[in-house]
Amino acid sequence: MFLEIKQLSKSFQNDLIVDRLSLSLDQHRTLSILGKSGCGKTTLLKLIAGLETADQGSIRVNGEDMSGKTPAERKIVYLYQEDLLFPHLSVRGNIGFGLKLQKIPASDIKEQVDLMIQRLELQGQGDKMPHQLSGGQRQRVSFGRAIITNPRLLLLDEPFGSLDVGTRQRMQELFKELTALYGITSLFVTHDLKEAILMGDDIGLMKKGSLQVYPDKQDFLLDPGTGVRSEIEFWESLLKPNY
Amino acid sequence: MNKLRYIVLSGLGLGILFPFAFLAMLSFSGEWFFPEVLPGYFGLKNWKEVLTSESGMGISFASSLGISLLVATLGTGTGFIWSKSIAYHSQKETWLVLAYFPYMLSPVVLAACLNFFFLKSGLSGTWQGVVLGQYLVAFPYSVIFFQAFWNHRTRQFEQLVLTLGGSSRQAFVQVILPLAKGMILVCFFQTFLISWFEYGLTALVGVGKVQTLTVKVFLYIKEANFYYGAIACCLLVWPPVLLLYLNKRFVYNRLV
Repeated sequence: MFLEIKQLSKSFQNDLIVDRLSLSLDQHRTLSILGKSGCGKTTLLKLIAGLETADQGSIRVNGEDMSGKTPAERKIVYLYQEDLLFPHLSVRGNIGFGLKLQKIPASDIKEQVDLMIQRLELQGQGDKMPHQLSGGQRQRVSFGRAIITNPRLLLLDEPFGSLDVGTRQRMQELFKELTALYGITSLFVTHDLKEAILMGDDIGLMKKGSLQVYPDKQDFLLDPGTGVRSEIEFWESLLKPNY
Repeated sequence: MNKLRYIVLSGLGLGILFPFAFLAMLSFSGEWFFPEVLPGYFGLKNWKEVLTSESGMGISFASSLGISLLVATLGTGTGFIWSKSIAYHSQKETWLVLAYFPYMLSPVVLAACLNFFFLKSGLSGTWQGVVLGQYLVAFPYSVIFFQAFWNHRTRQFEQLVLTLGGSSRQAFVQVILPLAKGMILVCFFQTFLISWFEYGLTALVGVGKVQTLTVKVFLYIKEANFYYGAIACCLLVWPPVLLLYLNKRFVYNRLV
């Protein structure tokens, strides 16, 4: 397994936020994690990224133990719900930021950034500043900035939460295209049921710090705890003739 | 209605500008005795005397400028770094109460409280002592000022840089400093003004040996030499006015 997490726990003061959580994920696959606010999703991602320290448990990426490694050494990029574009840098500057940190020659950065701008369908926007972009364009830049660094693992914390329905749908398609193109392995956290089903190759449900990963999507759909059935019943009730 | 507005605004404008204009006029005046409406002399004599004689006005101006620049640089620089540690500290509130402490007392009372230490350390009557004294006022101001900067979003920016493969130093230099640039300039300006107009603490710690412009102004007023006092005031007031204009023109307008 590419990503292996065993018995991971984290408490803040006396609150157990992540409770002996285990999961595994193959390379080049996306695991959707569905969960309500406060169920520990964000903390789980921060533990994997090295932004928080686990109380117990282990995280291994490609067989390598992550404990004691700094976030920079892990090569795991964490994407927030907000796009967090650097306001003092242009679109080019933002996308190439991670490469600049790695001290890659400027000509190589330019080449890679130009290619990424094309793939993100942002031609002609390269010299714009973040405040000149729409919400969807900003989120694309944020994606490009993460993917261009070729991370071992991409962690997405409700990245489309602030987008309107249409833009969200387009971003979901673009995400699928790019992850397939770059062979990205990712954890996609969301509280949106439909998005969880659409985005993940595998799917899990997180409740009170525990995660249940389903063997396949059918099991997820049939489990009453996921809310899929009640969602279907709701839509079916709207379609029934009114006697 | 428009006319009334124009009159009120003109009146307010005149009221604000009059003291500055009057100071400038007084600095060029001489032989102005009661009940004369206008001065008997109006020219450059006072300025020439002050700039060519041994009045020490030039040295006072240079001292004020040097001390204020040093206090503003040290206060803003160290305040920015310490404010981060305090903002993210579990005992943040306690540290902030301590930062407000120098503002519970007037600077003179603060200086009087610390005077023993200045005397014992040999800093009394030296420019280093004055810088330290003023720094003790400017530093907490800077710490409090930057609390607004170290928010959840700034922390997310730092963490993002780390996960993109950067070090804490790279996050600081390439993201945090550019983000804070506007606030740093405003804080520098504010701490410069705190130092520039400081009198009580400077007079007490400097014991008359460190003669900044504010000390000089009060000296001339005590001597009833209001022409020289006006020159000192002009030198004291006009540079900050210029700085205020530059700050408004190039910094503040970009922040809002």
